[in-house]
Amino acid sequence: MNGLIQLLNNLLNNYGLQQGFIAQASFYVIAALAVVFALGVVSSRNIFHCAIYLALTLFCIAGVYLFLNAEFLAVVQVLIYVGAIVTLFLFAIMLTANIGDRTIRHTNKQALAGGVIAVIISALFIFIIIGDPWRKNLAQPQPSLTLQEIGKSLMSDYALPFEVISLILLAALVGAIVIGRVKKE
Amino acid sequence: MIPQSHFLILGAVLFAIGLYGALTRRTAIGILMSIELILNAANINLITFNKFWGSPDGLGQIFALFVIAIAAASAVIGLVLVIAVYRNMKTTFTEKMNILKW
Repeated sequence: MNGLIQLLNNLLNNYGLQQGFIAQASFYVIAALAVVFALGVVSSRNIFHCAIYLALTLFCIAGVYLFLNAEFLAVVQVLIYVGAIVTLFLFAIMLTANIGDRTIRHTNKQALAGGVIAVIISALFIFIIIGDPWRKNLAQPQPSLTLQEIGKSLMSDYALPFEVISLILLAALVGAIVIGRVKKE
Repeated sequence: MIPQSHFLILGAVLFAIGLYGALTRRTAIGILMSIELILNAANINLITFNKFWGSPDGLGQIFALFVIAIAAASAVIGLVLVIAVYRNMKTTFTEKMNILKW
């Protein structure tokens, strides 16, 4: 992959384009795709399509993680979110909702107010971010964390939260079985 | 090199989209999906700050890992609650789930 990008960069350099153009352009394409698919998640009338759009959005976000030097998290994102959570959503949809029904309304009465609030909040955030209160950047960004370093951190400095997470997952597992089972009379 | 603010803007936009979905969806499953979007936006911010400001042991990435684990647990519990409610009330629409109101 890196070799391919390098090759394309060299090719583009011959035509006078700057270094890293492919990487930057692919980031903006992936980010735009993530936003478009996320809009599909909140606006599609068919709840089944929403789940598919959610899977695509999460794939794009995993791609964004790659640009942030977080390869392990990108893999975890694809494994846990796309592999497990979206599958769970699809199961829940097939167990409950009538999938193909396009006649029912999919938003409640607050659609207009909710849209206004979302636009205002995102405009406020973007205004703050463009103002750039985090001007003091690092001289060079953090190098990519290897899996070994993450594992060492999890087992030494962050061992307690790691164990607590396992307890929470166990509690969620037991709770899901207890709530979801059919009680025999 | 892509500036820090572009990642943060992506996170803000995804958060706003998720907020819109959580406020306006009628079905509980749609609301849960929107909440997953919000959590992912938060994760993008965490990892961005880890890259541009980070500590050497990668606290931001480990925190994002914990957020993913908690999100998985919350999605499981939420979906099981939806299925349990559907079994009793034959609906997933949140405005019909009002038997605790008087």
